Amino acid sequence: MVRVLGWLSAAALAVGLVMAFGVAPREVTQGNVQRIMYVHVPLIIASYVAFGVLAVASLVYLIRRDPRADRVAHASGEIGVMFVGLGIATGSIWGKPTWGTWWTWDARLTTVAILFVMYVGYLLLRAMIDDSERAARYAAVLGIVAALDIPLVHFSVYWWRTLHQPPSLMKPGGFTGSSSILWPLLVNLVAFMILYAYLAARRVRLLRAEAEATA
Amino acid sequence: MPDNWSFVAAAYGLTAAVLLWYWLRLGKKEREIAVLTRLTAERSRGPSSSGHPRPEPGSRTPLQQNQRPGAP
Repeated sequence: MVRVLGWLSAAALAVGLVMAFGVAPREVTQGNVQRIMYVHVPLIIASYVAFGVLAVASLVYLIRRDPRADRVAHASGEIGVMFVGLGIATGSIWGKPTWGTWWTWDARLTTVAILFVMYVGYLLLRAMIDDSERAARYAAVLGIVAALDIPLVHFSVYWWRTLHQPPSLMKPGGFTGSSSILWPLLVNLVAFMILYAYLAARRVRLLRAEAEATA
Repeated sequence: MPDNWSFVAAAYGLTAAVLLWYWLRLGKKEREIAVLTRLTAERSRGPSSSGHPRPEPGSRTPLQQNQRPGAP
């Protein structure tokens, strides 16, 4: 199953690349630098999903004390941090030629930076506590609290005046742009979702093996 | 607006490099765990494979008697 997910994610990412560079047109105002959006937007949305799964798994862990739920939360935390970190980096690379700056402390960028730091803290907390049961319990609480920042990140562009544009995909009324831009975005979004599922399944399997080997 | 292909290459290159690094790291950890599991299984199977059977408890030297079971 994990192997199938791996091949599926590799194929989906390859199709996503073809869509981003072969099918999507050169954007009229931004030029080809807009193609960064086909990796930036899916990375950020996939990180929201990873942190959402983390929060649900953490809640399940706190209720049932099931180590499987903790392993899902742990794996999702790692992958979510990687995805949101890459999302911030690719957004920054896009921002320099488009906005004229690598970084600005506007509401969207600041809330997403807080999200990143909180989940890095989540991973550090897990690593710092030797007692695995206690680490899982504390991390679960932090994972749930940190997830409250996700709606704040998403709606920050509506609630405050920001340099960052409003969402293109996840907004009331749906996507209003050209379908030649929408399809590459959607294909890449699906590709990153499959990639998340693959990496999470593999990391969960590894965490279980680690737990068994050290038991 | 200029195309800024170098920025596009940097964004995609960075993403590919980090994802590849994580994927390789998972593979490395899996191999380490497989070795650890194999060693643990071999140890738990007992001293038959080495060709040097452990002496009976009564004939062990004091040093051997003080050794913890399973210690190297």
